[in-house]
Amino acid sequence: MEANCLAPSLGRYEFVLRRLHSLTGLMPIGGYLAFHLLTNASIIDGVEVYQRRADQIHELGVTTVVLLLEWPIIFIPILFHGILGIVIVSRGKRNVADYPFIGNIRYTLQRWTGVIAFLFIIWHVFHMHGWFKASWWVENVVRPLGGGRFDPHNAYTAAQAIQESVWVQAMFFVGVLASVYHFANGLWTMGITWGVWTSPRAQRWANVPCAAVGVFLACAGVAALIGMLVADKPGAGQVPPVQTQDSRIPTPTASVPSPVEFANPARIEVSRFPSSPPQRAGRTT
Amino acid sequence: MSSPRDPYEHGGGPARREAFDVVVLRQDGPGKPSYWERHRVAYEPDMNVISVLQRIAANARTAEGKPVAPIAWECNCLEEVCGACTMVINRRVRQACTALVDRLLDEHPGQIELRPMSKFPVIRDLVVDRSRMFETLKKIRAWLPVDSYLDMGPGPRQSQDNQELAYVLSKCMTCGCCLEACPQYVKIELQRQPGETDEQFDQRQKAAFDRGFLGAFAIAQIDLFNTNPIGEMTSRERLDALVAEGGIQVCGNAQNCVRVCPKEIPLTRSIARAGRIATRHVLKRWFDR
Repeated sequence: MEANCLAPSLGRYEFVLRRLHSLTGLMPIGGYLAFHLLTNASIIDGVEVYQRRADQIHELGVTTVVLLLEWPIIFIPILFHGILGIVIVSRGKRNVADYPFIGNIRYTLQRWTGVIAFLFIIWHVFHMHGWFKASWWVENVVRPLGGGRFDPHNAYTAAQAIQESVWVQAMFFVGVLASVYHFANGLWTMGITWGVWTSPRAQRWANVPCAAVGVFLACAGVAALIGMLVADKPGAGQVPPVQTQDSRIPTPTASVPSPVEFANPARIEVSRFPSSPPQRAGRTT
Repeated sequence: MSSPRDPYEHGGGPARREAFDVVVLRQDGPGKPSYWERHRVAYEPDMNVISVLQRIAANARTAEGKPVAPIAWECNCLEEVCGACTMVINRRVRQACTALVDRLLDEHPGQIELRPMSKFPVIRDLVVDRSRMFETLKKIRAWLPVDSYLDMGPGPRQSQDNQELAYVLSKCMTCGCCLEACPQYVKIELQRQPGETDEQFDQRQKAAFDRGFLGAFAIAQIDLFNTNPIGEMTSRERLDALVAEGGIQVCGNAQNCVRVCPKEIPLTRSIARAGRIATRHVLKRWFDR
């Protein structure tokens, strides 16, 4: 047997797993992608607007965000979709050189962008979030490797992490566009998989809404990236202490919780703040 | 041949084409290594790849003049309805009988490249073993169960729409072009183990075929037999095969199948229809049993 040996057999669960793969691509992953890009695009209106959006999300509380949102509806579906996706890619035998039809090019791009997006997301979540919020992990692994850069209570840290290096910017640009292509083209193939558009004519027309979603999200993603690149330090001149330091070195103070404290659900009671940190009060420009 | 102009000649007349090369990917037997061989064929007007292979067989010498065994190939109907002569010509799968030399030399002047299909085990040279396709047709029960000791009377009437759809789908000749071009369809070739009887080998091969992808042609045949009023009565069996391992879920929507199908069967339409029915069938199996 050729090629088949590369990938494990999914056996009698193949159909259900592939349908779940298709479904998770739309919801929650596609839905989250749209939400995430649009949230981040708000930075184009200024860091304060972006901070408000971050506050709205993190108002839910660390336990809710981590236990109910992050793992069950973001990380686990992405891991499932990504790992099964790699099995699917390894089972195919791409032949775009011999059959350079538009559908085949899209199929091949779907595989490439899927792999790129999955690798990007794994890195991106480590870079901004750190994967896990347990303090020993954050202190011993995430910080030394330059990850976990985003502090939701100081949302400017995201822009800071992106502004740092042109490599980071390039990875974001490629990763975001790959994810958006994968989602938009995936919407179209999903319509075939589930039999929403069946005739060649309907499938041709279905390209229009899928391309529109793709272009819209690509614009949102690029806007978010540009916004991150041009974002100024909030309230220049009256910079809060935590922002003058390297954000990788957490220095817990009496008033400002360190990212580590925020990150650790076990220490919520200690670190939760009834209102926004006092530093942000004077940050209006 | 000067005038009137042959419609299949695009600029290059016999004056320009005296001879051309044919490179063939040969293989002496199953599991043997493959190798390239170059032949030189004198140009004649209106040749197809079958007549080229006949000239090569008559000559039985390579371009360098070395005597070689004639190239093995299969053909039957010579009018693109049997599928026997399907091979990869100039890197694209098609029937040798309707692959016209004038057009091929227009695409790629001076040389024609022939390979066996890459998704099936090679028996010899350009002859491949497509029995997996016939096993698949058995798996999906691509027939109408009308055998009976009793006179069952006339069958139900079919609507005009159904008849038209069925006609298009029934043009499939099991040639395998859709599978050759499909990036999701991978070759299954087993090596015979020492001391294995024919029956044991067949059984092992059948089991491996059973787990492999059905392919576009089979999904279209499920569509054909399930829309037939008599076939519909046993549609559940075909749908079970459609959602089993190697079923419709393996399709990656590259849609090469419909582009290479010589009979222009709307394969992608059948695939999308089957996708809709497959989901319903699985849900029904879960909730209605």
